[in-house]
Amino acid sequence: MTKLLKKDLDKIKTAHQDNGENWIKVGMSTCGIAAGADKVYEAFVEEVKKRKLDIKIKKCGCQGMCYSEPSVEVRVKGLPDVIYGKIDKEGVMKILDKHVCGNALVKDAIYELRTKR
Amino acid sequence: MNEKIVFIKDTSIGVDLTKDFYASFLNLLREQSLEDKVQIIRVADIGIYDRGLVVKFCDLDIIYANVQEKDLKNIVTKTIKDGKIINELLFKDQPKQLRIVLRNCGEIDPEDIDEYIANDGYQALHKAVNESQPTDVIEELKKSGLRGRGGAGFPTWLKWKLTRETQDTQKFVICNADEGDPGAYMDRGVLEGDPHSVVEGLAIAGYAIGASKGYFYVRAEYPLAVERVEKAIKQAYDRGFLGKNILGSNFNFDVEIRLGAGAFVCGEETALIASIEGRRGTPRPRPPYPSVKGLWNKPTSINNVETLANIAVIILKGGAWYASIGTEKSKGTKVFALTGKVKNSGLVEVPMGITLREIVFDIGGGMLSTKGIKAVQTGGPSGGVIPKEFLDTPVDYENLQKLGSIMGSGGMIVMDEDDCMVDIAKFYLGFCVDESCGKCVPCRIGGYQMLSVLDKITQGQAKIEDLDKLKRIAQAMQKASLCALGQTAANPVISTLRYFLEEYQDHIVNKKCRSHKCKHLLNYNVIQDKCKRCRVCVINCPVNAISGDKEKGYLVDSKTCIRCGKCYEVCKFNAIAKE
Repeated sequence: MTKLLKKDLDKIKTAHQDNGENWIKVGMSTCGIAAGADKVYEAFVEEVKKRKLDIKIKKCGCQGMCYSEPSVEVRVKGLPDVIYGKIDKEGVMKILDKHVCGNALVKDAIYELRTKR
Repeated sequence: MNEKIVFIKDTSIGVDLTKDFYASFLNLLREQSLEDKVQIIRVADIGIYDRGLVVKFCDLDIIYANVQEKDLKNIVTKTIKDGKIINELLFKDQPKQLRIVLRNCGEIDPEDIDEYIANDGYQALHKAVNESQPTDVIEELKKSGLRGRGGAGFPTWLKWKLTRETQDTQKFVICNADEGDPGAYMDRGVLEGDPHSVVEGLAIAGYAIGASKGYFYVRAEYPLAVERVEKAIKQAYDRGFLGKNILGSNFNFDVEIRLGAGAFVCGEETALIASIEGRRGTPRPRPPYPSVKGLWNKPTSINNVETLANIAVIILKGGAWYASIGTEKSKGTKVFALTGKVKNSGLVEVPMGITLREIVFDIGGGMLSTKGIKAVQTGGPSGGVIPKEFLDTPVDYENLQKLGSIMGSGGMIVMDEDDCMVDIAKFYLGFCVDESCGKCVPCRIGGYQMLSVLDKITQGQAKIEDLDKLKRIAQAMQKASLCALGQTAANPVISTLRYFLEEYQDHIVNKKCRSHKCKHLLNYNVIQDKCKRCRVCVINCPVNAISGDKEKGYLVDSKTCIRCGKCYEVCKFNAIAKE
């Protein structure tokens, strides 16, 4: 790969400015994986493929809320960003059914509200 | 469909009536025929604790706290229907956390360098190598007041300046990622969540002191962290942030990973150097300090992961900005691994000067059990306990030291009334005895002797004079040990003796452990009034220490009993007494 200069840094920065309107981020550090985040991630990828949904599944590091792992941040257009905690396969389905497809938040599973961005 | 979203959560301690409030709320909305226009969402955690029912309105971005059932009607008719704010209920929320080191952790994909670049990644490296002199970088750090986050708190700029000023043909920088305090995992969080920030910090360190080579010393027990750092280094080489002519400048810098086998002492800088050189990881006397004679006798600067993760932000935003955060002598933020008997355990990053109470109760959500808080342990095996009376002390390097503990690398363990302070001291000392490299006598023998005295105390065989013996050996270890491991190993004992002397005396004189932790001082008995003669304890006792029959009742034979606590656990009628 070519070596980058300052102008390339700025180019990449602008290209990534728009992070997309729809995505799900799964916390995949040791704390998350120990609690089952890898299975949650796989379930999301599989299910999104099966249902042909227009949503990106991404990985991220530890959000600091180790008590609520596996935790998942969801951004869907029209709804506030939230972090769901203690998510299992059933939780994956709920998030996809309700939050992603149903325009409603999932009850009793939200651990952090990311309204201020 | 333009729905309003309202979040609710009952944050009272002990009871959670969120579902009841939810039902009443829904009824009121139906009365006003608003149920289709408003989404009420019960949340598991709203980030506010011990403030009764908390209601957050998404569209207005306001929060009501301590909401009573009777207020709900007003909320529906005024706030939801008309958008009017009820001032009496309004809760002003100030975010307690401030994320500088953890700025990207949980935000970006740690394995994708472009996401790091998109968040101002490697801009600081460009600013350093193309727009500043190495001395400018050091000057900026001096302004920032950043101190080493590994525990001792030595000013980072001074370490870099000393290493820079030593004349030599080759110099090294090392990232110390040999994190080993029990219960502490701040560095792991950073390396796994944002490895590029540390790589960038290390490269800037290399530029500032004039080193062309850097090492990551990571413990092998962190396989995922190692994997992500490896990937990050490879990506950085591909993009030209490492290697020759970085970002078009004349600066060349190479990085290599060295794995530590997990010896705690290898976090000590001279032992770490020995380990990288391929020798046995034992410390040597200082001076000469590594800034003069370090790796392969060349000037070397060793910085902790968290210190390095701060560098890029300081270069970009300026030292003055960083110095505006924190207290007079401790600037910036500190990451803590909050664990123990606290509800929300995890990584928190707070500005220096915040109180322990705010960390434990406002961020940590309070205690896990109904038992009260007893103390907070900071600094791991080199630190001490801070009793609940001092929870309102602002956290910084100096204050914690005054209280007989240290900032340390950032472990923070919350303890409740169930934790025996003698047992805690024994645990930490035992850790240091296991991890002592054995090179110097005070640490090797002093630690062992102190541990055997603590053993005697927890077994009820000690005399009151033994406490003086503990203090004497502790003093000798502090003064004469070769490295910080031995010098600080006695700290947990000294600090528990300072604040919880009564507990030690109780163990020695009354042969009692008030927290029921020290099993040699425990006795299990059947409470005859409560016993239903179900025989569950008899069946479960592994050593057949419980005898008797249905007529006369059952008794625990304290000579046969091994204090395993099985009978206490299995009894459904709370008929086993532990005292």
